[in-house]
Amino acid sequence: MDVGISNETLSRPRAKWRKVAYGGMQPGFDDNHTDESFLEDMVMNANVVKRDITKVILDSVSISQYLCIVSLVILVWNYTLQSTLDEYSLLFLDVGLLASGFVTLLLTREMCSLGLFFHYLLNIGFFTTGLYVLSPIYNTLTRSISSDTILAVTVSLIVLHLFLHDYSGCPIGVPGGALFTAPSLTSCVSLNASVVASVFIASRLPSRLHVFAVMLFSMQVFLFAPFVTYCIKKCSLALHLVFSCGLMALTLSLVYALHKLLFVVLLGLLVFVSVVCPCWLIRIQEYKFEINGPWDEAKLCFDIRD
Amino acid sequence: MAPERHRILMVSDFFYPNFGGVENHIYYLSQCLLELGHKVVVMTHAYGNRSGVRYMTGGLKVYYVPWRPFVMQNTLPTIYGTLPIVRTILIREQISLVHGHQAFSTLCHEALMHARTMGYKVVFTDHSLYGFSDVGSIHMNKVLQFTLADVTQAICVSHTSKENTVLRSGIPPEKVYMIPNAVDTAMFMPAEERPGGNEIVIVVISRLVYRKGADLLVEVIPEVCQLYPNVRFIVGGDGPKRVRLEEMREKHSLQDRVDMLGAVPHASVRSVLITGHIFLNSSLTEAFCIAILEAASCGLLTVSTRVGGVPEVLPDDMIVLAEPDPTDMVQSIKKAISLLPGIDPQAMHERMKKLYDWHDVAKRTEIVYDRALKCPNQPLLGRLSRYLSCGSWAGKLFCLVMTIDFLLWHLLKLWQPEEDIDKVPDFVIPTGETSSAFDQELDDQSSS
Repeated sequence: MDVGISNETLSRPRAKWRKVAYGGMQPGFDDNHTDESFLEDMVMNANVVKRDITKVILDSVSISQYLCIVSLVILVWNYTLQSTLDEYSLLFLDVGLLASGFVTLLLTREMCSLGLFFHYLLNIGFFTTGLYVLSPIYNTLTRSISSDTILAVTVSLIVLHLFLHDYSGCPIGVPGGALFTAPSLTSCVSLNASVVASVFIASRLPSRLHVFAVMLFSMQVFLFAPFVTYCIKKCSLALHLVFSCGLMALTLSLVYALHKLLFVVLLGLLVFVSVVCPCWLIRIQEYKFEINGPWDEAKLCFDIRD
Repeated sequence: MAPERHRILMVSDFFYPNFGGVENHIYYLSQCLLELGHKVVVMTHAYGNRSGVRYMTGGLKVYYVPWRPFVMQNTLPTIYGTLPIVRTILIREQISLVHGHQAFSTLCHEALMHARTMGYKVVFTDHSLYGFSDVGSIHMNKVLQFTLADVTQAICVSHTSKENTVLRSGIPPEKVYMIPNAVDTAMFMPAEERPGGNEIVIVVISRLVYRKGADLLVEVIPEVCQLYPNVRFIVGGDGPKRVRLEEMREKHSLQDRVDMLGAVPHASVRSVLITGHIFLNSSLTEAFCIAILEAASCGLLTVSTRVGGVPEVLPDDMIVLAEPDPTDMVQSIKKAISLLPGIDPQAMHERMKKLYDWHDVAKRTEIVYDRALKCPNQPLLGRLSRYLSCGSWAGKLFCLVMTIDFLLWHLLKLWQPEEDIDKVPDFVIPTGETSSAFDQELDDQSSS
């Protein structure tokens, strides 16, 4: 009978390991025991999006398009500084750009009420008057600073502007527009950088009318071009592609006429942005490893309204 | 076979006079290890004027190294700046093993690195959960990978924390021991008489920050007050979200139903807890919630969010778990209120005494120390190969850091030879008689 009891105690299986912290050391198991249920609640790559190369290349067209716009602005600045473009042709260019911008807006946006049109016209009027009044100040702003400094600062500011620019939306919120997303910090910084760069370039010009024309041109492009391109893109993808290709062709031909080396640099940059970067992104997307599990901080499912 | 007597150095940025989970853990663990006959020395940074060597209860020697904290109670990370002082302390106290606490502590990482260079065995305890995807966590995980590449053993406070640490640092799971925190049941005793009357009191004590779910409280409290006219809330603690709670109180006119106590000092936590019936914890992330243990030790039924290591902490009849969602939390509070008549605080307290005990934690930690000291010594080259596997660029950087540390150590050995450093004589408090005021207090409290 004794033997029977001792056999029983020998063959009694040890208690199952439980994933609990209370009760001290679990009998029969070490503290570093790793069960089969270790890491069974881990979820990998739950929210990862599978990317398609054609779509990524089409999306990168927005970036190359904006690069071309900025190159055109720099070209105009260059010709103005060299006095190839005089102030009257520049003013013509300004008015032409404004008109074409308005026409594009009217054609691509569904609502074109007369009230909104006058509202825009009034704002443009105030803006232009303000610039005209302030142009004497800009004229003498950097007279004591050397040209090299101005050039270096302008180049850095334009690079900063391109780096921080919000390529997916429009930096100025549109009242009454369909999508009003608040501008983020980086898009505000990039806009300010471009404005300051335009002021520096404008301050190098001889007469007040020059300054006014160049400032108006730069402001028009930097403030309104993202909005116009956004409307074109929203209207139809084909139109967006045609417009971008045309713009790229125009820019490349103008830069070629200016300087061969710059043309090669611009072409290289456009190829890098449109072809090399999408392929690179697709390749490194395979290494993405997202881990989720019970250790994650819980997300509140309601908005915190103060 | 007589048990081996260890000489342990506990290192962390977080210690008394700060109060918190890590601080209490180090203090209680050190006291219980002293009772088991080991020698324990604590190293931390200076707190204001409190700098130099201090002695605490039971002969616990604390080195408040005169380095100022620079952000969030952490010392400035100078990588090699702490090498001389760590070497001096290790030689003076004739330390056999270094035990570092908390991944967020820069002093801990530096001390562990120097201890490894000098050939000491090293144990690391991780007290928190971290994510993987934000910038701060990515850097923290890389630093942790560096420290844990060559640690002898590691300890985590819950199974979820063990999974998290293994994923973050890449060490084999067999090296990680799961030893939970415990609670001082002698200090957290239930009231002699349960707070009676018709009212049900729900107690919340936590820092009022986003991480601890203060926003969930703002949604839950008005809802519960509306459903149950006899429920009262006591909210202790302070923080940036206190303003939102005050606003909620004004908006729903709950001034007489919700008491805001402000910051509650650690010594008064028990007196606040015993006025309640239910303890509510709404944290969004928690590796191991000691507050829940304190509440259960005082005889309160706990309602908590099901996050991190919380489901492992208490058995199912002492806690009601809810998803971190206001509706679900209200349902759980409803369930807890219905369970209240069946709860006996004294019985819960007696159960807690068996479930969690600091002496048990100390014994399990001693087993880890024994295992750590049995591990073989490795020369520098063998150890460098472990660092190389940390990453293609990081691995080489870590190897460089360790090599420079090794060279600096040899330079220091020439400049300040070991023979010139006075060794502290061992004074052993005999374990036969009442070895510390700690035990005396326990006896007094249980007999009163």
